[in-house]
Amino acid sequence: MSRLLAIIKREYVQRVRARMFVVATVLGPLIMLAFAVVPALIFSFNAGGPLRVAVLDETGRLYARVRDALQNGADEAAERGAAQPAGGAGARPAGGGAADFVVSPVVLPSGRAAEEAKAELDELVRRGTFDAYLVLPRDVLATGRAEMYVRNLGDEFTVRQVQERLGAALRDERLAAEGIDPARVRAAGGRVTLSARKIGAGGAAAGAGRGSFGLAFGIGFFIYLTILLYGQVILGAVVEEKATRLSELLFSAVKPFTLMMGKLLGVSLVALTQFAIWAGAFLLVTLYGAGALAAGRISLPPVAPSVVVYACLFFLMGYFLYATIYLLLGAMVQTAQEGGQLALPVVFMLVMSLYLAVPVIRSPTSPFAVWVSLVPFSAPITMVARIVAEPPPAWQIALSLAVGYGTVALLVWLAARVYRVGMLMYGKRASLPEVVRWARRG
Amino acid sequence: MAQSDVTLELAGVSKSFDEFAAVSDLSLQVRRGRIFGLLGPNGAGKTTTIRMIVGITTPDAGRISLFGRPLTPELRDRIGYLPEERGLYKKMKVGEQLRFFGALKGLDGRAAARATDHWLERMQLSDWQTKKTDELSKGMQQKVQFVAAVLHDPDLLILDEPFSGLDPVSTETLRNAILELQAAGKTIILSTHLMEQAEKLCADICLISRARKVLGGSLREVKRGYGRNLIALRAEGGDGVLADSALVAAVKRHSDEAEVELAPGADAQELLRRLVAAGATVNRFEQIEPSLNDIFIERVSATS
Repeated sequence: MSRLLAIIKREYVQRVRARMFVVATVLGPLIMLAFAVVPALIFSFNAGGPLRVAVLDETGRLYARVRDALQNGADEAAERGAAQPAGGAGARPAGGGAADFVVSPVVLPSGRAAEEAKAELDELVRRGTFDAYLVLPRDVLATGRAEMYVRNLGDEFTVRQVQERLGAALRDERLAAEGIDPARVRAAGGRVTLSARKIGAGGAAAGAGRGSFGLAFGIGFFIYLTILLYGQVILGAVVEEKATRLSELLFSAVKPFTLMMGKLLGVSLVALTQFAIWAGAFLLVTLYGAGALAAGRISLPPVAPSVVVYACLFFLMGYFLYATIYLLLGAMVQTAQEGGQLALPVVFMLVMSLYLAVPVIRSPTSPFAVWVSLVPFSAPITMVARIVAEPPPAWQIALSLAVGYGTVALLVWLAARVYRVGMLMYGKRASLPEVVRWARRG
Repeated sequence: MAQSDVTLELAGVSKSFDEFAAVSDLSLQVRRGRIFGLLGPNGAGKTTTIRMIVGITTPDAGRISLFGRPLTPELRDRIGYLPEERGLYKKMKVGEQLRFFGALKGLDGRAAARATDHWLERMQLSDWQTKKTDELSKGMQQKVQFVAAVLHDPDLLILDEPFSGLDPVSTETLRNAILELQAAGKTIILSTHLMEQAEKLCADICLISRARKVLGGSLREVKRGYGRNLIALRAEGGDGVLADSALVAAVKRHSDEAEVELAPGADAQELLRRLVAAGATVNRFEQIEPSLNDIFIERVSATS
């Protein structure tokens, strides 16, 4: 036992003290934040300033509405509560401080043909006086067809934005023509707020369970993240003695099983430490730094204590299930890279079970949901999904846990057998028949 | 030989890997306080034998007993092992690393620290205690590995090719350390294919070739039993005596010396007396022992 502790301690201390750990702990959340925020920032970033549009209004009465719609489109959309087009979303300050469009009328001297004006506008766009021009034909209100001429047709976002705002302007104009106040129509189209309440086993209607999907998916994602971050570390740790040619010396002192478990537990503690640091930092930030901001927006759904216990049990099960697969792979291969390649199907399995959570949470009592929540590789995610959605019978939860932890034990046993032989083999990867033979020989 | 004198005994030990017999029916006794040479060419089965002794693999057949008792994990803690496959944790500090190995061998923290200090000083590596292992030269690393093997004060020390890759100065340091341990009553098994080293250090040997023991016993007995009764002779006259086939089997003449092989059952002293009696001037008369190397080569080529 003291030897197992010595191995765990070495594994833990060496890894936590390493510069990589410090760097990953500090930079990890920043990188993740960057991944979440930067793309949105980039998308919303309009490098060229507002689009200068000339409007050739052949109807002679639409210009004012179109100009207002284009220039103040964002306000109106917010007022309407309608979904924003993709191009308009993002970090634009509320109130539309920076306009997307600068609109100018094209005055058509009487007698001049529209075609002539277009040729002239083409030239203006080409020279850069305008970025685009819009042609509203005389029958635009009836047909709903307008034309836009742009220098850069690749800017699909802008074209869609113009289309959307032009549509709003035309609709308002048509309504006005019918004698209806567009503002009243907008008011009548207000959104419905549907508040769904869950009927639990006790029959009490409560707000709980709103975050069900989030919770189930969150746990699944957490397992996924942990394995993604630490699976390779476990692999590396197991292969380490092979690479340093130390296994022979260590095996003369401790059982291969002890060494292997020490490594698994040591690395797991490192992962736990890292997550604890992140969680602590997150709490501090929410409490002090952005406290006011976060309090308003983030409110965790109330979760029953039993759900927390189950979530922990299933998280540990999922983590150790996938970790022991990495352990087994590590015992088979010569280098961590080689193991990483072998681990690809494992990652695939993990992602699949994450997706499985969706149909399961939609019909948690279907036979499909029951089966996938009993299969150990998908159970950690799908069973939690079922528990938060609609608690399954206790025996199913118990069975799922038993099967899962049983599989973990089986994999550990298998890994230990393969490890014992594999660690003393240098130079080549164990083939599958060899692994089977080693496992049998014992 | 009294039982208490035997540190390690192997009786009829065999081990196969699939079809391949790595060790077959090996029996040997290692006596306490002596240096035992486990000799043989590469691939003969030395490492497999050692792995069975230290408990990394188990024999398919046969019995291994240590200090008169069947091998148990507790007994294994009294063995120190320097494997041929050398390795250390590269990023770990030397002292830290040794204390870890000490802990794996059952030493508590303080004892491990004390032993580490003592042995690093003994190996003139004290200044490197807090350095990372990959900053050390190869020779230094090898000394650290040796320290890892002796740290827990084992009663039986198994060294697999301990001198390979060492410079002469380090070789000497290591040799002295080994002799010192022997003087302190430790039993040492030296596995090597370098016969010169074995000849200088070992009191007993066991030669294995192709998984089988081909020769064993004390070095003296082996040489005597194996002696081809060769005599290096530098003499003038006495040619008639050398021609006597009852006494001399063959004579190989070099420039001014002859290598005389005695006839079976003939006595060297009788030959000397006859030569002197025949009036020969004897300048050199020396019974030559075959070197371990000669024996090794002859026996190994006989088995293959």
